[in-house]
Amino acid sequence: MSYWTAFILTLFSPVIGGFIYGLERIVRARMQGRVGPPLLQPFYDFFKLMDKRSIIIHSFHAFMGVMYLIGTWFALFVLLSGGDLLIAIFFHVLSLAFLVVGGFSVRSPYSVIGAMRELLHMVAYEPLYVLSAAALYLVTGTFQVSGILRSEHVPLIYLPLLFTAVLFSLPAILKKSPFDTAEAHQEIIGGPEIEYSGKFYEAVYTAKWIEYVYAFFFIFLFAGGNHILGALLIIFAFFFFNLLDNVTARVNFRQMVAFHWYILIPLAVINLMLIALWRS
Amino acid sequence: MDFRKFRKRSPWILHYNTGSCNGCDIEILACLAPKYDVERFGILNRGNPKQSDILLVTGPVTKRAKERLLRLYFEMPEPKVVVAVGACACSGGVFRHMYNVENGVDKVIPVDVYVPGCAARPEAIIDGIVRALEILKEKGKEVELPHWCSAQVKPPVNRVKLLDRCLEELHGRR
Repeated sequence: MSYWTAFILTLFSPVIGGFIYGLERIVRARMQGRVGPPLLQPFYDFFKLMDKRSIIIHSFHAFMGVMYLIGTWFALFVLLSGGDLLIAIFFHVLSLAFLVVGGFSVRSPYSVIGAMRELLHMVAYEPLYVLSAAALYLVTGTFQVSGILRSEHVPLIYLPLLFTAVLFSLPAILKKSPFDTAEAHQEIIGGPEIEYSGKFYEAVYTAKWIEYVYAFFFIFLFAGGNHILGALLIIFAFFFFNLLDNVTARVNFRQMVAFHWYILIPLAVINLMLIALWRS
Repeated sequence: MDFRKFRKRSPWILHYNTGSCNGCDIEILACLAPKYDVERFGILNRGNPKQSDILLVTGPVTKRAKERLLRLYFEMPEPKVVVAVGACACSGGVFRHMYNVENGVDKVIPVDVYVPGCAARPEAIIDGIVRALEILKEKGKEVELPHWCSAQVKPPVNRVKLLDRCLEELHGRR
């Protein structure tokens, strides 16, 4: 993919993410026996929020909300332009750090609790993404996304356990049940995003759409050069995490971190060791 | 581009119970459940005043709840509308003229739509929200104050100061 195509695709990634989010709301409603909102609902929300008055707590807090959007956007650009996988992961962590700092900077207890839980989310799932970057390097021989997308190997065949682990931690990165402690909508009303309003909430809301594209692009990488398989994997992952979202209740943060560190990360490490043994 | 028409498409709701018997609250939740499913119209129960457009209030506003109600009203960014759901919220209902209630929501904050009924039926609540959306579409973005508050709104709006002024008057009046 050329540089300019990547740039244009990144520019329009909020639109793609908005459609994914709209589809997700419909699928979730159908799974609960409801009709659900129209497909364009996220964009209606977007335009409505443009017209709302923004209440600013202090300028630094609002700035951190905007930086969260820019950080995720940049992480996605690194992925789409065929850059280094580790740098994309690093920028994603950085953008979440902006959200956490913004969450800590206000006095609302829900915001502070949400920011702490957001840190625990990062502790839980980020090692898994770094491990999968290492695994993709072992299989395809490169950290470059463009190289992975051109390789003749299909990483999924070598990394079934790791792919399962990433699939199960998808709710953690997208903050869906069972791993949605950071923005538990019934207890801490959105966590770090609670104090944003108007245009600044819009930035946070859009950043969440971009995270959808980011997470699903990561799933896409597991198909390597086989792009049709990649599309099928994305569709499977989409329905799988919606099902998981609907059938499970929220676990507390200890259970979330324990599940990641005792089950998913060992699975990933076993997969890596088996590949290394098989290679040698 | 005119963003006004999108206000009707995605109204987010804040629901507050000011000492109601929970009858109306259960009917509001019934609107969100599969039978009535108001998410079809983009209505979400956010529970967060800073991101909501419609304030659904139930209950006769007890003395304890009136300050919280006013705070919630001030935390909602404009444009916003208030819907009083149920007989108690409209006029005090069976609690009218008791020592511990304020006789309805409109004694504390301005109300745009009244939904009667004890408890209000889900159909009536949905109808009330639809009426409220028509009012919301026409509203401006200037800061709204309760009708009894004498504070003046000056351009660099400081909502905390306005709230303090209103709370002073609220506790002062008898």
